[in-house]
Amino acid sequence: MTTVSDAVPVDMHGALPAPRERFWYPYLLIAPSMITLTVVSLIPFIYTVYLSLHAAKFGRVTEFIGVDNYIQLLTDGRFWNSIGIALVFVGIAVPIEFMLGLAGALVLNQQIRGRSILIPLLFMPTMMAPIVVGLLWKIMLAGSWGFISYNVLERFHLIGQTSVFASPDLALYALIFVDIWQWTPFMMLAFFAGLQALPLGPYRAAAVDGANGVQIFFNITLPMLTPLLVVIGLLRFIDAFKVFDTVFVLTGGGPGIATETPSILANKMTFEFWNIGEASALAVLVWIAFFAFCNIFYQVAKKRLNAF
Amino acid sequence: MSDVSNTKGTTGGLIWTGTVVAYAAVVLFPIFWMALMMFMPNDAMFARPTVWTFTPTLAHFEYVIEQGFYWNLVTSFLLCLVSTALVVVIGTPAAYAFARFEMKLKDDLFLFILATRMAPPVCLVIPFYFIFAKVGLLDTFAGLTLAYMTFNLSFYVWVLRSFCRDLPVELEEAAALEGWSRAQIFRRVVFPLLRNGIVATAVLCFIFAWNEFLFAFMLGGETVQTLPVSIPKLITSQGVRWGEMAVVGITALLPVLTAVFILQRHIVRGLTLGAVKG
Amino acid sequence: MKKRSWSVAATLAASAIIASGYGASAQDSFYAKAAAPYKGTTIRVLDEITPLQETLSKIVPEFEKETGIVVKWELLNHFEVINKGQADMLSGRGYYDAVMLHGFQVGPMLSAGVIRPVDDLVKNPKLANPKLDTADFIPKPYKTLAFANGKQLGFVNWNYNQIYWARADLLNDPTEKAAFKAKYGYDLAPAKTFKQMLDIAEFFTRKKGAMLAGKPLESDFYGVVLEGIKGGSTFGTLWRDFIQNYGGDIMDAEGHPTFNSPQVIEALKMWAALWKFAPPGIAEYSLVDVPTVMGKGIAAQTLAWSDFVLGVDKPGGSPYAGKFVYGPIPVKEGFKGGRFAEAEPSITVISTGSKHPEATFLFLEWLVDKKQQDKLVALGQGGVPIRETSWALPAIKGSSNKSLYAAMKSTLDVAAAKPRMPKFYEIYDALSGIAQEVGLGKLSPEDGAKKGQEAMLKLCTKCLM
Repeated sequence: MTTVSDAVPVDMHGALPAPRERFWYPYLLIAPSMITLTVVSLIPFIYTVYLSLHAAKFGRVTEFIGVDNYIQLLTDGRFWNSIGIALVFVGIAVPIEFMLGLAGALVLNQQIRGRSILIPLLFMPTMMAPIVVGLLWKIMLAGSWGFISYNVLERFHLIGQTSVFASPDLALYALIFVDIWQWTPFMMLAFFAGLQALPLGPYRAAAVDGANGVQIFFNITLPMLTPLLVVIGLLRFIDAFKVFDTVFVLTGGGPGIATETPSILANKMTFEFWNIGEASALAVLVWIAFFAFCNIFYQVAKKRLNAF
Repeated sequence: MSDVSNTKGTTGGLIWTGTVVAYAAVVLFPIFWMALMMFMPNDAMFARPTVWTFTPTLAHFEYVIEQGFYWNLVTSFLLCLVSTALVVVIGTPAAYAFARFEMKLKDDLFLFILATRMAPPVCLVIPFYFIFAKVGLLDTFAGLTLAYMTFNLSFYVWVLRSFCRDLPVELEEAAALEGWSRAQIFRRVVFPLLRNGIVATAVLCFIFAWNEFLFAFMLGGETVQTLPVSIPKLITSQGVRWGEMAVVGITALLPVLTAVFILQRHIVRGLTLGAVKG
Repeated sequence: MKKRSWSVAATLAASAIIASGYGASAQDSFYAKAAAPYKGTTIRVLDEITPLQETLSKIVPEFEKETGIVVKWELLNHFEVINKGQADMLSGRGYYDAVMLHGFQVGPMLSAGVIRPVDDLVKNPKLANPKLDTADFIPKPYKTLAFANGKQLGFVNWNYNQIYWARADLLNDPTEKAAFKAKYGYDLAPAKTFKQMLDIAEFFTRKKGAMLAGKPLESDFYGVVLEGIKGGSTFGTLWRDFIQNYGGDIMDAEGHPTFNSPQVIEALKMWAALWKFAPPGIAEYSLVDVPTVMGKGIAAQTLAWSDFVLGVDKPGGSPYAGKFVYGPIPVKEGFKGGRFAEAEPSITVISTGSKHPEATFLFLEWLVDKKQQDKLVALGQGGVPIRETSWALPAIKGSSNKSLYAAMKSTLDVAAAKPRMPKFYEIYDALSGIAQEVGLGKLSPEDGAKKGQEAMLKLCTKCLM
């Protein structure tokens, strides 16, 4: 199963120079993708930027108002509240998913019986539709009738006279827990795949030197795995920041605004207030932040970690 | 080449297996409970105290079939199949080109592809809705196929490109010396080597499209209604039809689970994203 | 062979003509004649799914038989009908010729200019049914809902309304009655005032193992349940049932916010007090969950939407069906002002994007016509009337559930559509968050009132259209 990477010497991704007379060839290859992405992404995005610069209450574009929507947004405590919540969410969920995923991958990489059955099963939470994941945890944690609420929380009086998603102190952490449940398998499987693809040579050498398990992990496994960890971590970071479906199903951003992530706020601005201009401004701001972050990240990671 | 750190005997293996099974049992319990709910009579569903034994009923399945949910299943399946196939056809050459050739502004073009994924989808739905309303793409198969490209094509190109970079360039050079054309090289040399990566990435794209809710809800409608979108119909004024919801939720999981089960070797290989270098 | 197939076709054609001719003459209705120019037109109408519409959908196909206008009748749940209906109207797509709007949606949609007024249609003798008898519509909901800025927007289609809903078997239990009287000094009965509602809530909130109506409880039981989710109609309940029945309001006649008035604070205090006796999940209960909780027998009383009662209090709807009692929305003790009650009269309006306003208008008239309304009540074995004469129909007058209809009538007598506020959604969102925080005890009623007033002032100083 690993013929490719076994056969390939380590630093093997050289670039073919395009033959001079065929300089257009690579452009021809990327053209369909570029055109499609321009149509399905760039045009809606430019339209979003356009909307963000206009008064567009109820989606009726009326007048050009410059950066008013942005000022409105940046001076709105609720916007910063949502950014703060997203940062807490990402800051707790992603590192835990990361650690659990890595630990799980290391365990999976041991001699496990029936691994081909266990892997798809373990992957199930990630395969479920987020809306179903939301409903599933409602079944588990809903106040007074949820399975876990009733059999665990209520029985042992763990959280007193409240329910998980109704408590401003607990709701966010419950959502983080659900996210961890949903995405740890993804991390685990990706890291496991990475472990499976590592070359054997360094390990043989280490065994000859008599290195112990911990040394092997930190000196060989971790450095070789870093590029993968970085890429997967970045993907998850972007997606976790935009979390929507599960929050929408489980708390709708409440109680109060305790779990109102930027996506939930944007949804509210769009479908409840129909403040399309301001919602568009939010989209553009989030986009710019990510773009700047990814750009820097890309440059650094490309140089330091050889990750892309 | 796998199991590199296995220096213990089979007893160690058994302990690890036990650990994983125990972990799976805990983590997967909610899904197991949902699967039970498919057969649970309504009065046993949220009984307090919890009812563990019940006479299984097929009533929820009957309702789901009566209401024509299989039609949503077919719609979802066709839509995801077509949109994923399109992504593969359009995206594969691009991923290969980005990995293999020198181009002016290559980094910028590549970042552009990544950038299309960064805005929260919630914000893009309304621009899409208004544009689609103008050109008549709302509630059409073509419209949703196109919309799904926004998140899947960029993901596909991004991931498959890493994979392309791991291909041995010598084989292609040798083939070029033999006088093969570019197209021949791609078809006979590159494609067979890329198969794992394509399958893995395509399955992930399929899963994303399969589970997507917001675009499907706003841009679809009566004609094109995917399975996730059909779920809220079960929240009725007589309360939520939890049993039926369990049936639909688990049914939605099965095709994906089957695909992952059959294709897991490709997926495990493909998921490395080719990012592992020694 | 050829000859034969020809004759078959001819027979078919002839029978089709006969059938259609027969249909028209048999009905001979105003609608059949008025619809003649629009025969074959297809119109799309979006409505909400509740037991009422489920019954109505059995009647709708008759319109096509009667008029030849094809109606595509689409039903979505509460949240979807708002999202999709508004998106369709606001984008100018005009996929739906008519969309059902809850009263609260009318203000924002009016200010967006996407509702097509029907004045010209109502005045057109070819389209207006002279026998429609709009005077028969239950007046307050109709008058507050269907007219704005001197224009008519449509008729009234649904009279959603809230009522007081309690467990009769508990309120009538002799041991409970005696114990209640001993403790509170008056007779246990469905609450007429909020103070009584609070006493009942406190009295019936019991732990697992305690006795309830002579039986040991297998799990905790709660004295009250209310909608508490953010969004939905949580704030409507607080506003129209509590605040207004305490003599307050969220704004004065000019639309200036008055959320920090003493009456509002008093109402918030009662709101918070009741939450203490509600199930722990209250802050996540939506308008769908509240009737479910009642149906499962977890709580003693609630304020809930009466159309949901129709789905629960019927054979097979709940193990407690037939054991419920209903009443008017309670008021403040000794309250002298006019009574209020949360209701959401809803209207199907013609979208400005509609290409078939005439055919759609005929359908809207037909829907609210007495004939169809009578049929709706009969088929649904009850329902929520929009016409005064419906109260006298056998399915309602002869219903075994007398207290339900008495309660509904008491609410509809005073039920009004929400005032037209362009920023309704923003205000609602801010205040429903505060309703939750006050209910959960995170904010004191005083602070909640202060915060709510600030939030409103930030949105508008004149909040009415």
